[in-house]
Amino acid sequence: MHIRTITRALAIGGLLLGATALTTPAFAQDVKTITGGFDVGPGGFPKNFNPLAATGGFTWLNTYFEPLVIYNAGLNAIEGDLATDYTVSDDMLTYTFTLAEETWHDGEAFTSADVKFTLDLIRNAASGSVFTGRLGKIANVEAPDDRTVVVTLSEADGGLLSVLAQVMILPEHALASIAPESIATSTWWSTTPIGTGPFKFTRYVTDQYVELAADEDYRRGTPKVDRLINRYFENPAAAVAALRAGEIQFTYVEPEDAATFAGNEAFRVIEGDSYVVNYIGFNQKVDLWKDVRVRQAFMYAIDRAAIIESLYGGAAKLANCGYVAPHLVPEGLNDYAYDPERAKALLDEAGWADINGDKPITWLTYYGSPQAANVMAAVQAMLAQVGVNVVPRVVDVPTYNGTVYQENNPDWNEFPLIYAGLQNGPNPAGINVGLNKSQLPPVGANIMRIEFDDLSAAFDAAIGETDASQVDARWQDVCKVMNEELPWATMWVANRYGVASANLVDFVWTPAPAGGPFAAHPELWDIK
Amino acid sequence: MLNYIARRIGIGLLMLIALSVLVFVLLRLAPGDAIDAYINPAAPLSMDELAALRARLGLDQPLPVQYFGWLRAAISGDFGFSIQRAGVPVLPLVLERIGPTVLLMGTGMLLAIVLGIAAGIISAVRRNSVTDVALSVTSSIGISSPAFLTALLGLYFFSVQLRWAPSGGMLTPGAPFSVPDLLSHLILPAFLLSIGHAALIMRYMRSSLLEVLNQDYVRTARAKGVREFWVIIKHATRNALLPVVTLIGSTIGIAVGGAIFLESVFNWPGMGLLLVNAVNTRDYPVIMCATLIVGACVIAVNLLTDITYAAVDPRIQVA
Repeated sequence: MHIRTITRALAIGGLLLGATALTTPAFAQDVKTITGGFDVGPGGFPKNFNPLAATGGFTWLNTYFEPLVIYNAGLNAIEGDLATDYTVSDDMLTYTFTLAEETWHDGEAFTSADVKFTLDLIRNAASGSVFTGRLGKIANVEAPDDRTVVVTLSEADGGLLSVLAQVMILPEHALASIAPESIATSTWWSTTPIGTGPFKFTRYVTDQYVELAADEDYRRGTPKVDRLINRYFENPAAAVAALRAGEIQFTYVEPEDAATFAGNEAFRVIEGDSYVVNYIGFNQKVDLWKDVRVRQAFMYAIDRAAIIESLYGGAAKLANCGYVAPHLVPEGLNDYAYDPERAKALLDEAGWADINGDKPITWLTYYGSPQAANVMAAVQAMLAQVGVNVVPRVVDVPTYNGTVYQENNPDWNEFPLIYAGLQNGPNPAGINVGLNKSQLPPVGANIMRIEFDDLSAAFDAAIGETDASQVDARWQDVCKVMNEELPWATMWVANRYGVASANLVDFVWTPAPAGGPFAAHPELWDIK
Repeated sequence: MLNYIARRIGIGLLMLIALSVLVFVLLRLAPGDAIDAYINPAAPLSMDELAALRARLGLDQPLPVQYFGWLRAAISGDFGFSIQRAGVPVLPLVLERIGPTVLLMGTGMLLAIVLGIAAGIISAVRRNSVTDVALSVTSSIGISSPAFLTALLGLYFFSVQLRWAPSGGMLTPGAPFSVPDLLSHLILPAFLLSIGHAALIMRYMRSSLLEVLNQDYVRTARAKGVREFWVIIKHATRNALLPVVTLIGSTIGIAVGGAIFLESVFNWPGMGLLLVNAVNTRDYPVIMCATLIVGACVIAVNLLTDITYAAVDPRIQVA
């Protein structure tokens, strides 16, 4: 019998081996190369090549594609990229872009027709672009000459430039022949894409790495290194091992890994704001959270400062509303300093014993890191001290999204409480989708079904503000309402980290949400 | 015989269809779909946008429509595109992963067999010596070490600290293909994969050989003046190998599981890494295609084996 088993096993192996062939084309080796894990971590989107469908990974995509405008590396201002200049009309309905002189990687001239083609393609829902809805206020795109593009809106949209910063401009001459409904599944993206960025796509070795070569005709000068390689890793720990072994020169790292590089002269730790506010979300379809005193009790019961100090090593900022940027946060907010006695009193006043008492409440999250587990355990213990019994339930991202995005007859009790994060910058309008009653599903992503009139009005006023000098004040109004009404129990905005080899020169990276993009100027990156 | 083969092929096809239905249904029962995996919770999309994405992929269709649409295309050899890797056809993606998995698993098992048998012989021949004790302790550690621990420790010591081998991948990115480069990437995961199996084989080999060494025919061989080396190799080891060979056959399935884990740790581009990633991202076309190809291979090999047995051994009934 055993001979039969072995025969079968060997035959299976032989059959499988015969079904494949290992081929790898040869490439020159004596070239300056920077290899990194550019798609590792929360800002990455490994194996996605289509920028129209990207919800992350823009750090890498921006090395060979470029947007019209882009955030600077500090993420505090938008500047021109493929557009050398832009103007906005007083009513914020007309945006005029002046374009740079540039050629595509195949030598064709980049013109305003490419910009119009890209924006029109995105506005066509058949393209499957994730930007279709976000550019929904664009009424018209015109290209009066080769170097000018005029975008007209149906109504003011304070977040338009922020969205355009993630819209990579595509070559009309290469893509016009592909039907919009076929463009998302075209092999062009991973085989022969051409952009206007400092590096040209060379090849993709399936699920292993992507290789780019310097574009010698790049308008800002020939890149200093000959090649950029983006290696894929299944988890940050594997990327850290490759970094330590000297196989890559850069990767995102988890906070606990970042600490192990401190003081090591061979590496440079890069720390930055995550622009993601972590919060405890109260499902308003569940009766537990109707009384604001219950929500306030959560804030008072959790010693956020102690958690930041002990579990984040101080590398997080307390959030008393949806964001922490100083110019958007007004004076006089309630800081909800740790006060468990007050939390108990508020719960008593609200009648918590009758509302729920000590019955367990599922606390859903998609955060699976050890640090998140520690944070949730600490919060669970603190809430238990005031008589709230939450039970963390950690699931993977698809399960989480599948639960909170249920379309038909959702079971609200599957997610009465969540621990999540939402992008709150660089443009604070990012949190509108999760809090404004106009964003209730299916129109938006207000998954906690928050319908607070004052808050929604504040958001509408901030997003629709056409006087640039008043925009910050409007966002301060939003912050104040959030702080009072507590649609979420806001926790903190944590820092994120990358580690670069000390051999890298002029390397710019910041842990931007979704990977940016930001003006990293890869053409200036060098390696010793 | 022809009737038998035709019947077996028919049954095999029915089994493949049943397998495809089972996998299809199980995937749909799992919470979250490919689009749910696509959304970054920190930068969410609206349900309308998600619905549009689902419609573009046909995920909004009733399940029977989705299944028969997939089956119709699959019969013509079109397994669709990977949802996660927009535009990448599934069939070549899956086929190109088989070789690396077989290479890793085969090398790991080969190492395990060589190391395990050699250590088992040495341990048995030098019974109760320091060498025997050392090898037995080592094998106990090898057997009791979980694969994830072995893999991570091996990665840390041999790759990060000693830099004896690359930390992951199958080839150096951007470098021309070369066999030494491939071997340098292969040796560490293959060695780590072999540890547990080598330890098991060593223990079986040791106990089996000890039993054989006490047999009369071994004593007779010695009495005839055959040199001790040949007594052990030719007379004892050959007979002691029988239970070990049975063990090796039955542990190949376990090796597949170990290879899948090691592929994840070492970013080895095999079927395991592909499937783990596809399940995490609910990449239905990849999961369906990979499962069917593996299932088809197993069914085909079983059929070929049975036909071969029937052909060479008339005592086996095929009808």
